[in-house]
Amino acid sequence: MLGYALRRLLTLVPTLLAASLLVFLFVHLIPGDPAAVLLGDSATPEEIASLTRELGLDQPLYTQYLLWLGNVLQGDFGTSIFFRVPVTSVIADGAETSILLALMTMVWIVILGVPIGVVAASYRGTWVDQVTSGGAMLFASVPTFWLGLYLILIFSVTLGWLPSSGFPSVTDDGGLANLRYLLLPSFTLAAPNAALIIRLVRASMLDVQREDHVRTARAKGLAPWKVSVKHVFRNALIAVAAAFGFTFAALVSEAVVTETVFSLPGIGRLVVQSILRRDYPVIQGVILVIVVLYMVINLLVDLAYARLDPRVSLK
Amino acid sequence: MTAILTMGRIFRGRWLATAGLCWLILIALAAIFAPLVAPYDPLEIDPLVRLSPPSLEHLFGTDHYGRDSFSRSLYGARMAIVIGIGSVVVALVAGGLAGMVSAYFSRLGHVIMRVVDVLMAFPALLLALVLMTLLERSVVNTVIVIGIVYATTTARILFGMTLKLKGEVFVDAATCSGAGHASILFRHILPNLVSPLLVQASFIFAFAQLQAAALDFLGLGLPPEVPSWGNMLSESRIYVTRASWLLLFPGALIILSVFSMNLVGDALRDSIDPRFRNDIKGV
Amino acid sequence: MFRNTRWKTVFAAAIATSMASTAFAAGTLRYATVGEPPSLDQHVVTSDLSTTIAHHMFEGLYTFDASNSPVPLLAESDRLEDDGRTIVITLRKDVTFHNGADMTSADVVASLKRWGEFGSRGSLLFSNVDSIEATGDHEITLRLSKPFGPWKNLLAFINGGPAIYPASVMEGAGKEPIAPENYIGTGPYRFGEWQPNRHVELVRFDDYESPEGEPNGYGGARKAEFDALRFIPVPDVGTRVSGLQAGDYDYAETIPGDLFDALDASPDVTTILNGGPIFGLVFLNSKEGPLKENFALRRAIQTAINKTPALQVAIGPEKLWRANGSFMPEGNVWYTESGAENFSKGDAAAAKELAKEAGYNGEPIKFMVSTNYPFHYDTAIVYTKQLAQAGFNIDLQVYDWATLIKKRGEPDQWDLFFTHHGFVPDPILISVMNPNYPGWWSTPEMTALSEKFTASADPAERQKLWGELQALIYQQVPTMKTGDVYTYNIASPTLKGLGEATLIWPHFWNVSK
Repeated sequence: MLGYALRRLLTLVPTLLAASLLVFLFVHLIPGDPAAVLLGDSATPEEIASLTRELGLDQPLYTQYLLWLGNVLQGDFGTSIFFRVPVTSVIADGAETSILLALMTMVWIVILGVPIGVVAASYRGTWVDQVTSGGAMLFASVPTFWLGLYLILIFSVTLGWLPSSGFPSVTDDGGLANLRYLLLPSFTLAAPNAALIIRLVRASMLDVQREDHVRTARAKGLAPWKVSVKHVFRNALIAVAAAFGFTFAALVSEAVVTETVFSLPGIGRLVVQSILRRDYPVIQGVILVIVVLYMVINLLVDLAYARLDPRVSLK
Repeated sequence: MTAILTMGRIFRGRWLATAGLCWLILIALAAIFAPLVAPYDPLEIDPLVRLSPPSLEHLFGTDHYGRDSFSRSLYGARMAIVIGIGSVVVALVAGGLAGMVSAYFSRLGHVIMRVVDVLMAFPALLLALVLMTLLERSVVNTVIVIGIVYATTTARILFGMTLKLKGEVFVDAATCSGAGHASILFRHILPNLVSPLLVQASFIFAFAQLQAAALDFLGLGLPPEVPSWGNMLSESRIYVTRASWLLLFPGALIILSVFSMNLVGDALRDSIDPRFRNDIKGV
Repeated sequence: MFRNTRWKTVFAAAIATSMASTAFAAGTLRYATVGEPPSLDQHVVTSDLSTTIAHHMFEGLYTFDASNSPVPLLAESDRLEDDGRTIVITLRKDVTFHNGADMTSADVVASLKRWGEFGSRGSLLFSNVDSIEATGDHEITLRLSKPFGPWKNLLAFINGGPAIYPASVMEGAGKEPIAPENYIGTGPYRFGEWQPNRHVELVRFDDYESPEGEPNGYGGARKAEFDALRFIPVPDVGTRVSGLQAGDYDYAETIPGDLFDALDASPDVTTILNGGPIFGLVFLNSKEGPLKENFALRRAIQTAINKTPALQVAIGPEKLWRANGSFMPEGNVWYTESGAENFSKGDAAAAKELAKEAGYNGEPIKFMVSTNYPFHYDTAIVYTKQLAQAGFNIDLQVYDWATLIKKRGEPDQWDLFFTHHGFVPDPILISVMNPNYPGWWSTPEMTALSEKFTASADPAERQKLWGELQALIYQQVPTMKTGDVYTYNIASPTLKGLGEATLIWPHFWNVSK
């Protein structure tokens, strides 16, 4: 197992190098110029050129790339052109929002997805199954920004129950109570993703239900839901654990739209805004961090999966 | 005839999926006949009737340019289909080829799948976002970018499925009878993958709609002058209370179409070879 | 765990705070901005958002009163000598910087020098300045090469303008904006913190010495009532509106015109009109391409456009726009109708005729516009339709803003581009008057007139010359004005002291809740 993990980690290195080169190229090939954005509309082309020189952006691309890569390897992601603070601190600040948002979304997915999946499997083929599966799929078909707009309209503007937007840090005034700012956004993110989990829970429960010990329990006359909870649930979680991993990683990127609608200071919105501002170091840093996160989570999921399910062998 | 029979078998007893199929046919008809059915030019500006609520004259009301939303919705159906089919073609051709070839030729496959790994490490929407900023906003670019995003997952899936088939007896038999690599890949293996590919296609079609709408919302999708459902929503998001029809109609169109496609995909999935059923995640 | 104590406090606070209560002190103003300011350094940055935040913190020698006339702020008095070629400014003696140091002439000279060399609007004044020196602890003297009329307006305009920083901060400062730790000014609020992506916070400066006099525009006494001003980036406009309605913000800027009537009628929202209108500008390329020196063709394009439908589409309610051809709004001292009869003809037939005479044969005309400002894009769509009807072959190129401002610096990339212009108190500050601004309008007629215009110090003569310049703009068409747009902001009705309208940028001294 350990050997496998190490080997997997090693294969990450060339992938990461390639990813870093791609990120850098993508970002620098985008037309536009951070100096022009900084100086604003009344700046003349000469002024823009002079600031570009001051920022060192007139050097050849490969020089800039090697310089950047060298610094990144030492843990220095450079300085934000726009904010003039280290990229690491910009990302760290956004990470709080994004990670809490992803965690709360997972909570929503669990409390919505797992019970509904269990119920759907227990009443397989009945109208209960049809309605829950259909409903989940309907939610998965809604554009997230559309859902978000209406949630704000209903729960913030009309009812006034929840804040509409923004997220003060939990280390700020208000503490953990500030998490209420994330209730609507996390639900918006969870709604389409819960469908996947519902389907997985349902399918893996059905697989397990066909196994002998469950048939026996049922033959003894236990109610369907009791059979589910007692015998099936634990086994079904194996498959679900894997799905959670993938969903978690995807959430961080899907959050781009949600964070924009709810104006959350997370790294998703940071990427969008940084692209608009051509803040190269921030875009590169954020994408690289997300890519690493994505890879590491996938690796962990594979390992966890192998640990939980003895049928999976690691090559 | 056999096609109809097969369809009948797949959709029997699935009234919801059948309804979805009917809706998709309706959308396809709307797309084909948009110029004949649309009461107005979808680009015609008329400031005098701007933001009119739905009426007999303007079934879906008008937007802030005074353009007829119903006509725009009909032309939007065209865009939905172009994006759906376009992304499916790009994803299946690029991803399918990469996946099949990688599984068949394991040395080359190792390299190709590493490239797929790199691309997969970029979360879908982020990859699309960066690529769209890099390229110009256009229909073709949007289709390509969304297609590439799904090509990676398609490659993974086909890689797995081809590997499973590669060890089957019929492949060995073909090899013994002297069939070339191309022939084995495309004449013997591919036909077995058609139905799972169809299922994958239906889910890509559905997701592509949501991705395109998300890109439109972020201002990085189709050119803003193109009448698409995503653009209609994106342009009108400030009118959520002032002119709610501008969000409700295109929103409902997207939701119903994606929902229908997902239902159809689900129905198709249950009808395919159980060996492949778990390979395709879908919704 | 790390930061153990901090988390303990967090938990304690969480228990103490019920889910429904608002966590903010009543003493903080929460302002929803359109985005993040590029920097708060006023010398080099001309973003309006930057000024909205920064003018609470940085002050100049002069500022504007409600009638847009310059009045002293850090200056106490001034006198002209030598036929207007020497300006002597006496400074107020009671002014303290946020770092505790007293403001002296050394700080003022250092700030003006950096602004003059690197500032975006500084060269307008400093191309006429021979020397600037401290002639006393609280007196500076500027010697000009020739009399220069708009000097006081330029010193009073804080956006891209001469904010006064300590001399120590100015040491080594160049074109690159100064860093936040150097945000030291003299204003009623001082820099608190800038959490990227989250907010910029200013806090009250307790040692502030206010200028004297009744508050009038930006002039007169300034009192910081809030403990803090928090500027929160909320780029999505829909979220700004619903956030204010839901009580998450006290003030939100740049709201779409179409929502005006409903918001104005709502008892839960106060609407505040901006007194100085902004206006769209379509620049024509004077350096390269089919429009270069072909003034007849430019006039043909101008003739084809009817500005009103575009304003209706892009802005909405009639209260929020004027199809006004004068570059300065009605009621302003610079208002003139000279040349404005050509502002909005909308005559496709005449335009076709003119274009033919000008030798136009359907060559493509590249029109660049950005979607980042919906009002730009909406207007451009309407113009493109009108121009097409008059037989012009318009190639509309849609970019994001950062790409557009890069491309417009390359003369071979475009023929027309769309931008907008904020209200400025002196026509000298309008971008078309700068021959280096993309478009590069510097015909001999323009150069001759504008030299006369800046050299004169006599207000009546300057107004007359501006009328001639405006007529020249309508004749040579370096740019086309799209009409005046009165933007508006919305506020919670609990805010007191806002007034009916903002001058240019909203200000929150003398405002409380």
